[in-house]
Amino acid sequence: MDLEKMMALPGAMAAFTFSDKGDLQNHVLREGTELTPQVLDLLTRSCVANLAIAGMEARGWEAVTGQAGFQPLQGFSVVGLEWSVVVNGNCGVVVKNRDADYEATFNALQTA
Amino acid sequence: MHIVKQLMAIPGVIAAGEYAYRGDRFSFEGALTDEFARMASILCRANTLSVNMQSEIFDSFAENCGCRPVQGWIVRGRDITVCAIGNYFSFIENREDLLNDVMTIMRAKVGDIEDDLLVNLYARLGGDTKEALY
Repeated sequence: MDLEKMMALPGAMAAFTFSDKGDLQNHVLREGTELTPQVLDLLTRSCVANLAIAGMEARGWEAVTGQAGFQPLQGFSVVGLEWSVVVNGNCGVVVKNRDADYEATFNALQTA
Repeated sequence: MHIVKQLMAIPGVIAAGEYAYRGDRFSFEGALTDEFARMASILCRANTLSVNMQSEIFDSFAENCGCRPVQGWIVRGRDITVCAIGNYFSFIENREDLLNDVMTIMRAKVGDIEDDLLVNLYARLGGDTKEALY
Protein backbone atom coordinates (compact mmCIF):
# COMPACT_ATOMS: atom_id res chain seq x y z
CA MET A 1 0.00 0.00 0.00
CA ASP A 2 1.52 3.30 -1.13
CA LEU A 3 0.18 5.84 1.37
CA GLU A 4 2.07 8.69 -0.32
CA LYS A 5 0.12 7.93 -3.49
CA MET A 6 -3.10 8.14 -1.49
CA MET A 7 -1.98 11.51 -0.12
CA ALA A 8 -1.90 12.80 -3.70
CA LEU A 9 -5.69 12.42 -3.94
CA PRO A 10 -7.61 15.73 -3.97
CA GLY A 11 -8.05 17.10 -0.44
CA ALA A 12 -6.20 14.23 1.26
CA MET A 13 -5.38 15.03 4.90
CA ALA A 14 -4.41 11.54 6.02
CA ALA A 15 -3.98 8.04 4.66
CA PHE A 16 -3.76 4.92 6.74
CA THR A 17 -3.88 1.14 6.86
CA PHE A 18 -5.36 -1.01 9.59
CA SER A 19 -5.64 -4.63 10.64
CA ASP A 20 -8.81 -6.74 10.34
CA LYS A 21 -9.45 -5.96 14.02
CA GLY A 22 -9.16 -2.22 13.43
CA ASP A 23 -5.69 -1.57 14.85
CA LEU A 24 -3.98 1.35 13.12
CA GLN A 25 -0.91 0.02 11.31
CA ASN A 26 0.66 2.69 9.11
CA HIS A 27 -0.38 6.27 8.60
CA VAL A 28 0.62 9.53 6.97
CA LEU A 29 -0.73 12.86 8.25
CA ARG A 30 -0.55 16.10 6.29
CA GLU A 31 1.37 18.73 8.17
CA GLY A 32 -0.87 21.21 9.95
CA THR A 33 -3.92 18.97 10.06
CA GLU A 34 -5.91 18.81 13.29
CA LEU A 35 -6.06 15.01 13.08
CA THR A 36 -3.87 13.00 15.43
CA PRO A 37 -2.73 9.36 15.45
CA GLN A 38 -5.08 8.86 18.41
CA VAL A 39 -8.07 10.01 16.34
CA LEU A 40 -6.93 7.84 13.43
CA ASP A 41 -6.68 4.85 15.76
CA LEU A 42 -10.28 5.39 16.79
CA LEU A 43 -11.30 6.03 13.20
CA THR A 44 -9.85 2.74 11.98
CA ARG A 45 -11.98 0.83 14.50
CA SER A 46 -15.12 2.57 13.27
CA CYS A 47 -14.03 1.83 9.68
CA VAL A 48 -13.93 -1.91 10.36
CA ALA A 49 -17.32 -1.74 12.09
CA ASN A 50 -18.92 0.32 9.30
CA LEU A 51 -17.57 -1.92 6.55
CA ALA A 52 -18.91 -4.99 8.36
CA ILE A 53 -22.34 -3.41 8.83
CA ALA A 54 -22.47 -2.20 5.22
CA GLY A 55 -21.49 -5.67 4.03
CA MET A 56 -24.29 -7.21 6.06
CA GLU A 57 -26.78 -4.68 4.71
CA ALA A 58 -25.67 -5.21 1.12
CA ARG A 59 -25.99 -8.96 1.47
CA GLY A 60 -29.38 -8.67 3.15
CA TRP A 61 -30.68 -6.10 0.67
CA GLU A 62 -29.77 -8.29 -2.31
CA ALA A 63 -31.34 -11.36 -0.71
CA VAL A 64 -34.60 -9.63 0.25
CA THR A 65 -35.13 -7.41 -2.79
CA GLY A 66 -33.50 -9.50 -5.52
CA GLN A 67 -31.75 -6.31 -6.62
CA ALA A 68 -28.13 -7.08 -7.52
CA GLY A 69 -25.23 -4.65 -7.75
CA PHE A 70 -24.16 -4.10 -4.15
CA GLN A 71 -21.80 -7.02 -3.67
CA PRO A 72 -18.89 -7.10 -3.49
CA LEU A 73 -18.81 -3.91 -1.46
CA GLN A 74 -16.33 -1.34 -2.75
CA GLY A 75 -16.17 0.95 0.21
CA PHE A 76 -17.83 3.12 2.80
CA SER A 77 -17.53 6.80 3.58
CA VAL A 78 -18.61 8.90 6.54
CA VAL A 79 -19.09 12.55 5.62
CA GLY A 80 -18.27 14.78 8.56
CA LEU A 81 -18.64 18.53 8.86
CA GLU A 82 -15.21 19.40 7.48
CA TRP A 83 -13.78 16.10 6.28
CA SER A 84 -14.81 12.68 5.09
CA VAL A 85 -13.19 9.34 5.68
CA VAL A 86 -13.29 6.98 2.70
CA VAL A 87 -12.38 3.38 3.37
CA ASN A 88 -12.19 0.05 1.60
CA GLY A 89 -10.46 -3.19 2.55
CA ASN A 90 -7.73 -2.34 5.03
CA CYS A 91 -6.97 1.14 3.80
CA GLY A 92 -8.57 4.55 4.25
CA VAL A 93 -8.13 8.18 3.30
CA VAL A 94 -9.38 11.31 5.07
CA VAL A 95 -10.25 14.05 2.58
CA LYS A 96 -11.34 17.66 3.05
CA ASN A 97 -14.97 17.98 1.99
CA ARG A 98 -14.45 21.12 -0.05
CA ASP A 99 -11.77 19.47 -2.19
CA ALA A 100 -12.99 15.87 -2.07
CA ASP A 101 -13.28 13.78 -5.20
CA TYR A 102 -15.21 10.82 -3.80
CA GLU A 103 -15.17 8.91 -7.04
CA ALA A 104 -11.40 9.17 -7.47
CA THR A 105 -10.87 8.22 -3.83
CA PHE A 106 -13.08 5.14 -4.00
CA ASN A 107 -11.38 4.14 -7.27
CA ALA A 108 -7.91 4.60 -5.79
CA LEU A 109 -8.80 2.45 -2.80
CA GLN A 110 -10.29 -0.19 -5.07
CA THR A 111 -7.10 -0.57 -7.06
CA ALA A 112 -4.76 -0.18 -4.09
CA MET B 1 -37.04 22.49 -7.31
CA HIS B 2 -37.42 19.93 -4.55
CA ILE B 3 -34.21 18.01 -3.92
CA VAL B 4 -35.72 14.59 -4.72
CA LYS B 5 -37.07 15.79 -8.06
CA GLN B 6 -33.76 17.48 -8.83
CA LEU B 7 -31.86 14.26 -8.09
CA MET B 8 -34.25 12.15 -10.14
CA ALA B 9 -33.68 14.41 -13.16
CA ILE B 10 -30.04 13.25 -13.29
CA PRO B 11 -29.40 10.24 -15.57
CA GLY B 12 -28.16 7.32 -13.49
CA VAL B 13 -30.08 8.15 -10.32
CA ILE B 14 -32.18 5.05 -9.62
CA ALA B 15 -34.24 6.36 -6.72
CA ALA B 16 -34.21 9.18 -4.20
CA GLY B 17 -36.22 9.86 -1.09
CA GLU B 18 -36.69 11.55 2.23
CA TYR B 19 -37.35 9.84 5.55
CA ALA B 20 -38.48 11.07 8.94
CA TYR B 21 -35.86 10.70 11.67
CA ARG B 22 -38.49 9.08 13.88
CA GLY B 23 -38.64 6.29 11.29
CA ASP B 24 -42.35 6.15 10.62
CA ARG B 25 -42.68 8.18 7.42
CA PHE B 26 -40.92 8.37 4.10
CA SER B 27 -41.44 9.59 0.56
CA PHE B 28 -39.53 8.67 -2.55
CA GLU B 29 -39.39 8.65 -6.34
CA GLY B 30 -37.81 6.09 -8.64
CA ALA B 31 -37.36 2.37 -9.01
CA LEU B 32 -38.25 1.14 -5.52
CA THR B 33 -41.45 -0.42 -4.24
CA ASP B 34 -43.14 1.11 -1.19
CA GLU B 35 -41.86 -1.75 0.95
CA PHE B 36 -38.29 -1.42 -0.32
CA ALA B 37 -38.38 2.34 0.23
CA ARG B 38 -39.57 1.70 3.79
CA MET B 39 -36.68 -0.71 4.31
CA ALA B 40 -34.24 1.79 2.79
CA SER B 41 -35.51 4.49 5.15
CA ILE B 42 -35.00 2.27 8.19
CA LEU B 43 -31.52 1.31 6.97
CA CYS B 44 -30.56 4.94 6.38
CA ARG B 45 -31.84 6.00 9.78
CA ALA B 46 -29.93 3.19 11.51
CA ASN B 47 -26.66 4.01 9.72
CA THR B 48 -27.08 7.74 10.37
CA LEU B 49 -27.62 7.06 14.06
CA SER B 50 -24.58 4.78 14.15
CA VAL B 51 -22.14 7.20 12.49
CA ASN B 52 -23.41 10.03 14.69
CA MET B 53 -22.71 7.94 17.76
CA GLN B 54 -19.18 7.33 16.45
CA SER B 55 -18.60 11.03 15.85
CA GLU B 56 -19.66 11.80 19.43
CA ILE B 57 -16.92 9.44 20.60
CA PHE B 58 -14.33 11.02 18.26
CA ASP B 59 -15.31 14.40 19.63
CA SER B 60 -14.74 13.28 23.19
CA PHE B 61 -11.18 12.30 22.23
CA ALA B 62 -10.43 15.35 20.11
CA GLU B 63 -12.86 18.22 20.46
CA ASN B 64 -13.69 20.08 17.26
CA CYS B 65 -11.68 17.66 15.16
CA GLY B 66 -13.91 18.40 12.15
CA CYS B 67 -16.08 15.30 12.13
CA ARG B 68 -19.08 16.37 14.18
CA PRO B 69 -21.88 16.82 13.34
CA VAL B 70 -21.86 14.09 10.70
CA GLN B 71 -23.43 15.20 7.44
CA GLY B 72 -24.04 11.78 5.93
CA TRP B 73 -22.47 8.64 4.58
CA ILE B 74 -21.89 6.69 1.35
CA VAL B 75 -21.97 2.95 0.67
CA ARG B 76 -20.22 2.04 -2.58
CA GLY B 77 -21.37 -1.25 -4.08
CA ARG B 78 -20.14 -2.98 -7.23
CA ASP B 79 -22.68 -1.27 -9.52
CA ILE B 80 -24.81 0.80 -7.17
CA THR B 81 -23.96 3.45 -4.57
CA VAL B 82 -26.21 4.65 -1.75
CA CYS B 83 -25.72 8.24 -0.57
CA ALA B 84 -27.36 9.68 2.54
CA ILE B 85 -27.16 13.33 3.56
CA GLY B 86 -29.27 14.39 6.53
CA ASN B 87 -32.62 12.70 6.09
CA TYR B 88 -32.36 12.33 2.31
CA PHE B 89 -31.09 9.28 0.45
CA SER B 90 -30.36 8.32 -3.13
CA PHE B 91 -29.56 5.10 -4.95
CA ILE B 92 -27.33 5.80 -7.95
CA GLU B 93 -25.55 3.82 -10.64
CA ASN B 94 -21.75 3.76 -10.59
CA ARG B 95 -21.31 6.05 -13.60
CA GLU B 96 -18.35 8.32 -14.12
CA ASP B 97 -18.65 11.58 -12.15
CA LEU B 98 -22.19 10.81 -11.00
CA LEU B 99 -21.25 10.28 -7.35
CA ASN B 100 -19.46 13.63 -7.13
CA ASP B 101 -22.38 15.42 -8.84
CA VAL B 102 -24.97 13.81 -6.56
CA MET B 103 -22.94 14.57 -3.43
CA THR B 104 -22.47 18.20 -4.48
CA ILE B 105 -26.20 18.63 -5.09
CA MET B 106 -27.23 16.86 -1.90
CA ARG B 107 -24.81 18.85 0.27
CA ALA B 108 -25.84 22.12 -1.37
CA LYS B 109 -29.58 21.50 -1.25
CA VAL B 110 -29.83 19.88 2.19
CA GLY B 111 -27.39 22.37 3.74
CA ASP B 112 -25.17 21.79 6.75
CA ILE B 113 -26.66 19.38 9.27
CA GLU B 114 -26.76 21.04 12.66
CA ASP B 115 -25.77 19.65 16.02
CA ASP B 116 -29.35 18.85 17.07
CA LEU B 117 -29.76 15.82 14.80
CA LEU B 118 -29.24 13.30 17.58
CA VAL B 119 -31.60 15.19 19.84
CA ASN B 120 -34.25 15.04 17.13
CA LEU B 121 -33.59 11.35 16.60
CA TYR B 122 -33.86 10.46 20.26
CA ALA B 123 -36.52 12.91 21.36
CA ARG B 124 -39.13 11.01 19.36
CA LEU B 125 -38.44 7.86 21.32
CA GLY B 126 -39.89 9.35 24.49
CA GLY B 127 -38.52 10.41 27.84
CA ASP B 128 -36.00 13.09 28.67
CA THR B 129 -33.26 11.76 26.44
CA LYS B 130 -31.71 15.17 25.89
CA GLU B 131 -30.48 15.31 29.45
CA ALA B 132 -28.90 11.86 29.12
CA LEU B 133 -27.14 12.81 25.90
CA TYR B 134 -25.67 16.13 26.92
